[in-house]
Amino acid sequence: MRSVLKATAVSLATIVALAAPASAELTGNLKINLDTSNPAPRATMEALIAKFQAANPALNITTNVIDREAYKTQIRNFLSADAPDVLTWYAANRMKPYVEAGLLEDVSDMWADGTDIAKELASTKGALTVDGKQWGVPYTYYQWGIYYRKDIYQELGLSEPSNFDDMLSNCEAMIASGRKCYTIGNKWLWTGAGWFDYLNLRTNGFNFHMQMAAGEIEWTDPRVRETFANWGKLIRMGAFIDDNQNKDWQQSLPFMIDGSAGAILMGNFAVSPLREGGLTDDQLDFHQFPAITAGIAMAEDAPTDTFHIAANAKNKDNARAFLAYIVSADAQTEMNNGANLGQLPVNSKASVDDDKFLNKGFEMLSSNSPGGVAQFFDRDFPAEMAQAAMEGFQEFMIYPDNLDDILDRIEGVRKEVY
Amino acid sequence: MFPKPIEKSSRTWQLGYQALLPTVMLLWLAPLLAVALFSIRPDSDFLVGNYWGWPSSFEMAKNYGMVFGSAMPRYIMNSFLITMPTVIGAVALSCMTGFALGVYKFRGNLLIFFMFIAGNFVPFQILMVPVRDLTLDIGLYNTKTGLVLFHIAFQTGFCTLFMRNFIKALPYELIEAARVEGIAEWRIFWFVVLPLMKPAIAALSVLIFTFIWNDYFWAIVLTQGENAQPVTAGITSFNAQFRAMYHLMSAGSIIAALPPVLMFFLMQKHFIAGLTLGAVK
Repeated sequence: MRSVLKATAVSLATIVALAAPASAELTGNLKINLDTSNPAPRATMEALIAKFQAANPALNITTNVIDREAYKTQIRNFLSADAPDVLTWYAANRMKPYVEAGLLEDVSDMWADGTDIAKELASTKGALTVDGKQWGVPYTYYQWGIYYRKDIYQELGLSEPSNFDDMLSNCEAMIASGRKCYTIGNKWLWTGAGWFDYLNLRTNGFNFHMQMAAGEIEWTDPRVRETFANWGKLIRMGAFIDDNQNKDWQQSLPFMIDGSAGAILMGNFAVSPLREGGLTDDQLDFHQFPAITAGIAMAEDAPTDTFHIAANAKNKDNARAFLAYIVSADAQTEMNNGANLGQLPVNSKASVDDDKFLNKGFEMLSSNSPGGVAQFFDRDFPAEMAQAAMEGFQEFMIYPDNLDDILDRIEGVRKEVY
Repeated sequence: MFPKPIEKSSRTWQLGYQALLPTVMLLWLAPLLAVALFSIRPDSDFLVGNYWGWPSSFEMAKNYGMVFGSAMPRYIMNSFLITMPTVIGAVALSCMTGFALGVYKFRGNLLIFFMFIAGNFVPFQILMVPVRDLTLDIGLYNTKTGLVLFHIAFQTGFCTLFMRNFIKALPYELIEAARVEGIAEWRIFWFVVLPLMKPAIAALSVLIFTFIWNDYFWAIVLTQGENAQPVTAGITSFNAQFRAMYHLMSAGSIIAALPPVLMFFLMQKHFIAGLTLGAVK
């Protein structure tokens, strides 16, 4: 029995050794803090860590899984007080405060030209760069877009919109049939921010959006007003469900499931509850947010989750080896498959699980997003700015006539923040 | 000043009272009933918007089974390991401080007593940062010991107030009689005063047990992760990355609420005694 176990361990170790870039066996300690507290992601991460352990039996790994929301308030605390070696977090502006506070390790060496990471993860390099240096590695991302009730569209003779006029005329048909076009639960603000992201990316383009995120453009700029004018068209025609400021996003799903709303702008994580709520893949479909201003390159939101090394880490070499392992094509393929995270791998050599929505998302992000990939409003914009702006969006969705007031207020915050 | 008993009022008043009472009770219990109902619903009920209607199926066994299959038993264990030592520590300490302050007349007695009481008037939120730094410096951050020590230190103030007043109300002649017999002071404490304090000790233990069990603030400030966090903080571990698992959180809260509720029913007399002890002379 013992020898069988041993043999299994050895063969497992060989598999992992083959999969991960072979390196000298690691010793010492490795402390990992994870925010993947859901059962499935948690099991995924634990399985991957177990493989890493099997490949490095002499390494003493301790894993600490913290509830995802609590993690957000604890991260600053543990980075300064009781630093782990490796930790999960988010790309772009969400990591910037910690970079600026000197709490994260510069891993530019791992991203140096010619390395596998530089070649295989090029798409997200920008999101992990602050001041010309890289501060972590990505492990998963997912697409945003419009999930819609194909059966209702077919019943009304509608097709996927390819431009804003189609979108509006589809919506008119939906409203005429006694339904709402889009369900949204905007109580926690970020859902409305998704709408702003897409309307602004389509109206003014990726570069303009990023200039806004960097605070270079006034919120009262006529181009920003143009974005809101487009949004206002949808709001005034009654495209969104009523009372949306009082619902969280989960409470907005029943409208989609019972067919009283036709579509939702959401990340790919909406698919699993919609399926569990009873929608089949024949009823549910996905399309890219349609073009608004002709000639502007399509750009997408694809929030990226990342691994970092703490600046106060005690075992940085082990941490680097773990980061290299977690971004390898095999590890990313496995962790992102439908049974595990059910998201998209960032490594371009990884393969995508055979899932309708993952495939559509992968295709969209890899071939139909020439404009660029944004992280998401509250990850691209500084926290204070994002908070004030999102409160404005929520008010705008209920009282579109307050626009001037709202923009003045947001602009006031912009002047203070940057 | 007592309200007039309802039997003595007119028939219309009585009818109104009888009609209003169940309504108000239902209103008051609504959140609790909702949590109880949520805890036996299937997940899909939340997805289709069936929050208040009849559950589409009863998933009591499944939901509660999942709660016990998760890290919850660990968190509940932590809660006991934090609450029990705190109760014992705070009550033991305050019996002694209460005895000292209640029996001996010495200079500064009142001053020390007031300092114990004054501690209760400090809003504990302002202690958050210093206490966190302190536990970190002594290496007790994220340990059950750290949480227990802080709770004992903080609860002893209130307990001392309680115990001192109780001992003060005991007939002083008992102690004098013992002294005349030439009994050592610590034996007076152990054999004369302590047995008389039993009702106070029971009442205080029940009170402190519920206080500490229900603590959420210090649990999230001083601990992280399932090695040390009590159940009040651990309950959010059912929150997924994108979704809140209302049915599991409800089931978890009900289980987490059971120990203090049981404690209350078993020790009801002491609990009420604890709240009113010393209120009427």
